[in-house]
Amino acid sequence: MDQKKEKPPVVQKELWVENRLGLHARPVAKIIALAQQFEGTAITLEKDGAKADARNMLSILALDCPQGTRLVVKAVGPQAREAAAVISGLFARKFGET
Amino acid sequence: MIQKNRVLQGIGASPGIVLGTAQVLSPREGAQVSVRLLYSPQEVAAEQERFREAVDQTTQELKRLKHEIPRELQEHSHILDLHLIILRDPMLLKETLRLIQEQNLNAERALYQAFQKIKELFQRIGDPYIQGRVQDVEEVYRRLMGQLSGRGSRGLLALGRPAIVVARDLSPAETTQMSASQVLGFITERGGKTSHTAIIANALEIPAVVGLDNATLEIVSGEEIIVDGLTGLVILNPDEGMRRTYAARREEFAEFKAQLAQGCALPAVTSDGRAIRVLANIELPEEVGLALKYGADGVGLYRTEFLYLRQRSLPTEEELFEDYRKVVAAMAPLPVTIRTLDVGGDKFLSPLAYPQEMNPALGLRAIRFSLKERKIFRTQLKAILRASAFGEVRVMFPLISSLRELQEGRQLLEEVKEDLKREGRSFNAGLTVGAMIEVPAAVTLAGLLAQQADFFSIGTNDLIQYALAIDRVNKQVADMYQPLHPAVMRMVQQVVQAGRDAGISVAMCGEMAGEPLYIPVLLGLGVEELSMNALAIPLVKRVIRLISLTEAQEMAHQALTRTTVEEVNDYVTREMDRRFPEIFRFAHSLANHSPI
Repeated sequence: MDQKKEKPPVVQKELWVENRLGLHARPVAKIIALAQQFEGTAITLEKDGAKADARNMLSILALDCPQGTRLVVKAVGPQAREAAAVISGLFARKFGET
Repeated sequence: MIQKNRVLQGIGASPGIVLGTAQVLSPREGAQVSVRLLYSPQEVAAEQERFREAVDQTTQELKRLKHEIPRELQEHSHILDLHLIILRDPMLLKETLRLIQEQNLNAERALYQAFQKIKELFQRIGDPYIQGRVQDVEEVYRRLMGQLSGRGSRGLLALGRPAIVVARDLSPAETTQMSASQVLGFITERGGKTSHTAIIANALEIPAVVGLDNATLEIVSGEEIIVDGLTGLVILNPDEGMRRTYAARREEFAEFKAQLAQGCALPAVTSDGRAIRVLANIELPEEVGLALKYGADGVGLYRTEFLYLRQRSLPTEEELFEDYRKVVAAMAPLPVTIRTLDVGGDKFLSPLAYPQEMNPALGLRAIRFSLKERKIFRTQLKAILRASAFGEVRVMFPLISSLRELQEGRQLLEEVKEDLKREGRSFNAGLTVGAMIEVPAAVTLAGLLAQQADFFSIGTNDLIQYALAIDRVNKQVADMYQPLHPAVMRMVQQVVQAGRDAGISVAMCGEMAGEPLYIPVLLGLGVEELSMNALAIPLVKRVIRLISLTEAQEMAHQALTRTTVEEVNDYVTREMDRRFPEIFRFAHSLANHSPI
């Protein structure tokens, strides 16, 4: 099989919502601000099969992620690795909340 | 003739009392959304352009509002940032443009449909806090509609003179535009104690009543009204007598608040000179700030479960140490009592596969679990010991029910000390070790346990549950969960006596310890250290300062002579009302607020 073009890198990471209030508006705003820096890389958040675009506040809010929720971030594109790392870092720091 | 003193009942959302003139904001328009079909591509393009124009204008408007936010509300300006993000959200923006394009709808109708879809989506959200964000979407929606209709948004700042604002609903953005000098208080039909609006009102110290049905219909602009944010009452057209009553109440409350704020930094000493240590319960390192702010004499209960439950893998020694060190260093030189892991095996997701238990409260949990999973326990003890080099640390084992458990815990601690010595780590070799008394067996054995423990801490939540065989989550029996049950008081008395005989201190760290109503009885029973939610500290300190130990002992004695819990409750409530009328008038309504 010939490789017509190189497949873009795909990176997936498991995330846990650890801040007390869950993925409410402020944390989501931070996710969006970060996601917007990686133009050309598709970033999605998945919860139990439901997906949300990491640049779309309402779809992330609609995933309904209180504290303790497990998510998977999936990044596809040239900066997939960096994007996934930066987003998972944000989760690990609990979005600067408690 | 105007009726005097008509009383409306809502929910008190921000404490305080104010008398002023009502200013009713008319409900926003927009309930009727016109439908108009577009017939040509030119019309569609023009309609899309009109919508984009409205988005641009709304963007300008939000940016301007953000700019104009009064300084004391700067920290809430993120609400407007949030609205700017929502304004650009594909579910609102792209979807409206799509509906205009594909269904030939006018902009208003397309926007309406896009918004309805979002609303439906949010209705399925289980978490009430996240679901509440639909209010922000609605706010943006309303602004856009206002722009499309050419009316703009309703102005709030133009009150003219200071007034009490009455509205169906106040959006967070509108609330941030209120300045304390113009708005004396506010009343809304919608909203709860935790709404943005309530939070901001608290920050501004403006009295607020929310959830008052039909407020905009019942209250007329220009009417004199009293807002009592403590009780949630609103009084329309108060007569002279009512005004005087409330003016006095307002004075009292102001004085009460001032005293609380002043007093929380001072030590809690009874009027006859007995010092009582008042400490904070915490769960996260970040909560130390709150504990210090409210004048805690230390941390009496540091719950350590969080790090174990939040992630799939077990926390490492370094992670635990880092958290403990932060708390210990921030509190130093004040003491920090760290409670070792208090969970059951079933709480761990992986890597430990314990079966779900029929009866977790009576199952493998707390010290039982730790003694079974020694590796996990050793890691935690190591982290605690290492943190002990940074301040005054005490460790306590939860759910002790036998002497053997206490001995094994201590022995493990000694082994870990040897490990640390080999590793060349510093720690406090004399770390004090306490037993939590929360199982009736431990109460019975208190005399024996006191020989091997450096201190006791009575965990009332579990002790009451086990002693009375009541699961307070079970609605059928929840009202039988009674802290002042004669059996519970006698147990506390017994533990205190055992501690005294052995010369060790006896603390209390359940919810009972933070409830002002119970404080005198607890002092009278001999408890000298109370640990509670930080927010409860100012009030508890105040109660302690107002009573003498002799009086407290008399109250405890009286309470112990009553034979049923009903009689005890009756006696204590009456006695406290008599002794501390001002505290119990306000304490109830302050229960959910930070008092200062």
